[in-house]
Amino acid sequence: MIAYLVRRLLGVAGVLLAICAVTFVIFYLLPADPASAACGKTCSPERLAEVRHFMGLDQPVWRQFGDYLVGIFAGRELGSGPHALQCGFPCLGYSYENALPVWDLLMDRLPVSVSLAFGAAGLWLVLGLSAGVTAALRKGGLLDRTLMVGAVATASLPVYFTAVMLLYGLVRLTGLLPYPAYVPLTDDPVAWAVNLLLPWIALALLYAAMYARQSRSSMIETMAQPYIRTARAKGLPARTVVVKHGLRSAMMPVLTLFGMDLGALLAGAVITESIFGIPGVGRLFYDALQRSDQPVVLGVTLLAAFFIVAANVVIDLLYAAVDPRVRN
Amino acid sequence: MTTLIPPAAGPGDAPAAGGPGSPALPDALWRTTWRRLWGDRGSRTALIAAALLILVALTAPLLSRLGGWSPTAFDADAIDPYLGGLPHGALGGVSAEHWLGVEPVTGRDLFARVVHGAQVSLLIAFAATAIVVVTGTAAGIAAGYFGGRVDTVLSRLMDLTMSFPSLIFMIAMMSVAQDVNRVVLMTVVIGVFGWPGIARVVRAEALSLRHREYVEAARACGSGPWRILTRQVLPNISGPVIAYTTLLIPGMISTEAALSFLGVGVRPPTPSWGQMIAEAVAYYETDPMYFIVPSVFLFVAVLAFTVLGDALRDILDPQGGRP
Amino acid sequence: MSRRTRALSASLSTSLALALLAACSTQGGDERGPDKRQPGVATGTVIGGTPKRGGTLTVLSNQDFAHLDPARNWVMPTMDFGTRLIYRTLTTFRAAPGKKGSEIVPDLATDLGRSSDGGRTWTFTLKPGLVYEDGTPIRARDIKYNVERSFAPDLAGGPDYAQRYLAGTEGYAGPLDGEHLDSIRTPDDRTIVFSLRRPVAEFSYTVTLPTFSPVPESREKGVQYDLRPFSSGPYRIESYARGKKLVLGRNPHWDAASDPVRKAYPDRIVVIQGLKGGQIDDRIIESAGADASAVEWSDLQPSSVAKVLPKPEIRQRLSAERTGCTDMLALNTSRAPFDDPKLRQAMQYAVDKEAQVTANGGPALNDVATAYLPPSLTGGRPADPVHDGPATGDVTKAEKLLAEAGKADGFDTTITVSTGDKTRAEALQQSLDRVGIRLRIETVDPSVYYDTIGDTANAPDMAISGWCPDYPSAATFLPFVFDGRTIKPKGNQGNVSQFRDKAVEKRMDEIAAMPDATAANEAWTALDQEIQRTSPAIPLLWERKPLLVGDNIAGAFGHPSWTGQFDFAVIGLKDPSRTRG
Repeated sequence: MIAYLVRRLLGVAGVLLAICAVTFVIFYLLPADPASAACGKTCSPERLAEVRHFMGLDQPVWRQFGDYLVGIFAGRELGSGPHALQCGFPCLGYSYENALPVWDLLMDRLPVSVSLAFGAAGLWLVLGLSAGVTAALRKGGLLDRTLMVGAVATASLPVYFTAVMLLYGLVRLTGLLPYPAYVPLTDDPVAWAVNLLLPWIALALLYAAMYARQSRSSMIETMAQPYIRTARAKGLPARTVVVKHGLRSAMMPVLTLFGMDLGALLAGAVITESIFGIPGVGRLFYDALQRSDQPVVLGVTLLAAFFIVAANVVIDLLYAAVDPRVRN
Repeated sequence: MTTLIPPAAGPGDAPAAGGPGSPALPDALWRTTWRRLWGDRGSRTALIAAALLILVALTAPLLSRLGGWSPTAFDADAIDPYLGGLPHGALGGVSAEHWLGVEPVTGRDLFARVVHGAQVSLLIAFAATAIVVVTGTAAGIAAGYFGGRVDTVLSRLMDLTMSFPSLIFMIAMMSVAQDVNRVVLMTVVIGVFGWPGIARVVRAEALSLRHREYVEAARACGSGPWRILTRQVLPNISGPVIAYTTLLIPGMISTEAALSFLGVGVRPPTPSWGQMIAEAVAYYETDPMYFIVPSVFLFVAVLAFTVLGDALRDILDPQGGRP
Repeated sequence: MSRRTRALSASLSTSLALALLAACSTQGGDERGPDKRQPGVATGTVIGGTPKRGGTLTVLSNQDFAHLDPARNWVMPTMDFGTRLIYRTLTTFRAAPGKKGSEIVPDLATDLGRSSDGGRTWTFTLKPGLVYEDGTPIRARDIKYNVERSFAPDLAGGPDYAQRYLAGTEGYAGPLDGEHLDSIRTPDDRTIVFSLRRPVAEFSYTVTLPTFSPVPESREKGVQYDLRPFSSGPYRIESYARGKKLVLGRNPHWDAASDPVRKAYPDRIVVIQGLKGGQIDDRIIESAGADASAVEWSDLQPSSVAKVLPKPEIRQRLSAERTGCTDMLALNTSRAPFDDPKLRQAMQYAVDKEAQVTANGGPALNDVATAYLPPSLTGGRPADPVHDGPATGDVTKAEKLLAEAGKADGFDTTITVSTGDKTRAEALQQSLDRVGIRLRIETVDPSVYYDTIGDTANAPDMAISGWCPDYPSAATFLPFVFDGRTIKPKGNQGNVSQFRDKAVEKRMDEIAAMPDATAANEAWTALDQEIQRTSPAIPLLWERKPLLVGDNIAGAFGHPSWTGQFDFAVIGLKDPSRTRG
């Protein structure tokens, strides 16, 4: 198990390094010059050169990349002189637009995106799985067909359409919910939930529909397996068969999907955050693009990759714990 | 970075419907498929809707000429400049002249724009799907059939690609590139991140086919790998590939729309559904028709291809091969 | 400098402005009949009467501030916010709507400055007893220090008037390495003397800029000073989460008696950032709960106009002051086709300005521009147009000029616009099509828009470009836009037309040196007409800034010196008890 773990973690490091390199190269080719954006409206060429130097943009790309990598583990100092910028471990670069290390910005926004992702994930798991399992157990019936037609239709609605309709119905027309905002959980748990409810629902509806479809087919497949028949034949109560034998193994593929989806959402739901104006990582990313704030764009990309990879590892470890064959 | 496909969802032992690849059977397979598709009310409706949308996309210039407006022509008389350019009349300016109303501010004809939008949206979706299917199938077959080092390298590449935060990466790439054909770029960018899914399905199928008697037999007869791949392996995985392909299309349409929605898609004045919706979102209250028209088109397109894909999967690949 | 604001946010780009001046109805969309109602409150009106002290004022914004560091703050509404609330400058604008708002009064200084040496030397004396937020005294050398900071390459982005005007600044790279300027002297803690390289008649106006506010050297934090400027004004920063929320609380050491301008009514000011534009409009229209005590930072969205104008009770909460900027179509004069003045003149008639008005929010929201200098710089009356004609253009005249230039069949040309201006570019495309000019539109991301049009070698034939004066003087306008000596190969801004004319440049220098402001004003207006003759750019629009306030807001008016943004010095609440805390 230990050897397996080490192997997996090495793989993780390799993947992150590769993603980092690819992202870095792409942004090096970016025509927008962050230095001239920072320099202002009447920036002379000499001054531009100074600003470029200060931002480290006059270095060759491999050098910039090397500095960046070293900075992640050892921190680094940007610029020189008495007012050089200290960017401590883990230094993901420095956002000159925001006058803050990228890491600080990410950590500031992360709670928002995490709140959004986990709240929505909880909702869609409950909604999606219950709908999927119910439909599977009544395969072919009216309820099954209604649920599945509803699911396929909901999954076909773009999230921005659902979001706008929910906003209109729940906020503008009826005033049931407040305009989406973010209140830290630690400040006021009730306000936190109430303010995020709308984006949770908008995001969860789409995923719930997908999970209902996935869990239904997975459940149907499992229930057709010989061992379920055996369990039934042994005279176990239907409830035990469904919950203990059926559900448990039917949920494995759903779990895989869940890990990936949650991982991708943790680093920001770009569309949902931008529609509702929620200050999460996705919104930070989008604003950074508008302002050519490359360090932030790179930082968010890496964070997102990290979450996806981490979610994968967690899921794999879960499998490995259950099934020893996986470790080889 | 293996995301394990658990046994339940893996390829079943049964070969794809239609059995070992004798040349006569696929024809019969196609007939069965068609009969079953057409026999079901849901999939028949989806088929008709999808066909209609494709037809609309193909004949967009003709249709908009029929409507009397080009997608870029302004109509200053159709809007009220004083109210921020809101269309005159009810329902966003629906009239005999403008069948689906007009765009606020410019007065451009919504019907002309939405049918031209179909062209762009579907073109990108289909082209990206084609890229994904061709690369994915090729990589999957290579990995599954040859195995060994080829498999290792390709599988690692699949894992790596799947670890990319694809939407975030696509947005970043689209906003980086400036002086390129947006349609081509968008197709490629969407395609680049889509191939590992289908490659995995194909790889699993190819792995199981590799040691089938008829493949072994062909090999014993001295057939080269190319011949075996094209004559024996490919026909036998075509069922799942077709089903999977159809299921890819709605995702591609949505991705194109999402990118355009975020403002990194096609460049104006080219209309695409996502871009139209993005501009219309702000008007959902003051001019709901403007928002609803492109949304409905997008919804119908995604729904039709999803239903179609589901049906095809049930017919062609009943046992799994799910990503 | 609101051009940069426009560049930063695509959603902002469709700037709206509401036309109210009766004087404009002759220029704008004529014969509109009943549609020509007066939207919003009239210019010079204060919304909500006089505020009461206390309460929390909320500002709802769709974006973050570019820079609050006074050495780097050069984006228009942010300059208003910084200098009215957090830091004081040597002089500042009167807190009054309409024309009176363009007048300056002493702020940190005891007077508007004393010039000697023919306008080359300017001396200011600080008021006695001025202190920062921690009670330590504000000293003349702190102002000198901040002016020097504006030279530091790491503190880029701020007003460059110090670089332009001060003597002996060659090669100077800021005070961070311990180097100081000799052209600013502080003989004692209350006196500061600026030595300029040439006479600057309106230097009293120049020192309204945030560059001329105090920063104590002991508080220097380089780039990070941006996060927490040290307060010399009525408020200090309590917390600032970039892109999310800024909270200002009272500065207990600020002395109202020393400050003739700022009233500082609210106890707290909370800026909530990163919201969605349309949702901000909806919230303020509804004015529920804390939103009743809120104002919007960014323009009312075009899609919300229909929710506001037909309803008188909401319309009276709409401010729509002129931005004082001119929006222009810059023609690239450095190469064919627009190196030919005939073709440029033809463009004056070919462009349908009315269509531009519609594409930018309609006649209720914009006036057709007829000259380069906005009316606020020329005493309310713009220079007479040289190429007079209907706002929709004059196809016959345009075709005649095209024929004279040997392009009777029209020609192919290009324009580059940022994505937010694409509708306007399409409207332009339509109008030029009437005379056979075939326009190809390139749209670029707002973030790279200025880089793209500022790359002179690869610049497009045309670009939509605008300029806002930094203070009410044509000296902050024409020299930035039409002086050929300011053209740079990369990052060229302002003179987007790449217009080079020796006679014009000579005249600019002469006017800049005029000691008499009135004579200078007349000379600038005449020069405006002179430049119009050769037509390096087509004046398109004079926009207004539409901003809504909640129904508990008082003392709100668009200030003419800050592109129509609310004057934060005097805004407050009708009933402070309606806000919690």
